[in-house]
Amino acid sequence: MTVVLADPPCKGDNGFCAPGTESFIFKPLVKWEWFNVHFTITKVTILVWIAVALLIVLFLAAVRNPKIVPGRGQWMAESVYGLVRNNIAEDMIGHEGVRFAPYLATLFCFIVVTNIFGIIPVAQISPNAHIAYPAILAVISWVMFNWVGVKKHGAKKYFGDILFMPGVPKAMYILLTPIEIISTLIVRPITLAVRLFANMFAGHLLLLVFTLGTTYLLSVHNFSKIFSIPSFLLALALTFFELFVQVLQAYVFVVLTASYLQGALAEEH
Amino acid sequence: MPEAPEPRGPQNRPGDAAVGWAVLSTLLAGIVVWGGIGWLIDLWLHTWVGIVVGMLVGFAGAIYLIIRKYGN
Repeated sequence: MTVVLADPPCKGDNGFCAPGTESFIFKPLVKWEWFNVHFTITKVTILVWIAVALLIVLFLAAVRNPKIVPGRGQWMAESVYGLVRNNIAEDMIGHEGVRFAPYLATLFCFIVVTNIFGIIPVAQISPNAHIAYPAILAVISWVMFNWVGVKKHGAKKYFGDILFMPGVPKAMYILLTPIEIISTLIVRPITLAVRLFANMFAGHLLLLVFTLGTTYLLSVHNFSKIFSIPSFLLALALTFFELFVQVLQAYVFVVLTASYLQGALAEEH
Repeated sequence: MPEAPEPRGPQNRPGDAAVGWAVLSTLLAGIVVWGGIGWLIDLWLHTWVGIVVGMLVGFAGAIYLIIRKYGN
């Protein structure tokens, strides 16, 4: 049996064209080359630019003219920032966490907006369905928590505490040190990136399967036509489910980043 | 809303999700790392028990780490 991830393009009109990895590859709109490196601008790049522009404009507009009784925009911006600052940064990291609130809030808003593109008509793809974007976000968080830990404890104590967990019999280090190296320095950034990427990737595929399924079933000329109704209803339900997943994954990403920062700042980590 | 904020018990904090993920990743790291070491020993000595023993050892090590770190 062969596993077909990317089907060959369907020819003719007999049979359902299953969506595959090719559904994530967009036509380059602009292409150029600098020093043998190929640069392409696709729909996904443009969506990221829109997300960045949207966040800058919305937050500037919200706080440009702040009032004691906030208007709607200011209230929304303050609620999001307050949620991240109080319920994530302060709750998890403690008093020291407040200085990370701007980063965590930016991260949260950026991930939420880019994720929600997955169900916005016309956009209909989350940039985070390409591993490059979650990977860069994970690298930023990874560099940050290690940097913060080294700055607070010094490289020797910081990495020493990771490699040799305090309060453990010496003989156990043979067993525990390899696990700690892998789980703290390698598994953390990888899972951070893969969790977000896989959720967005799978969500996009799920929606494609049911929407394409609906149009396919509508086009057949037999009894199966009626199955387009459950397919459509599922596509609709899954769109709402996706909204939930998109916000949840942004939250999880930020909570985990905060927990890594907390671990790096703790006396024993 | 005028209601008093719900008292947040120890089981109602965002950090708990993080602990859950940390436990899971420690468990996986333990099994993968020591299973991998065992597998390499298997390749070297042409045996087959290394990976099994390695995974069990890694599992035990991970459980020990989790209890020391997150168990009260």
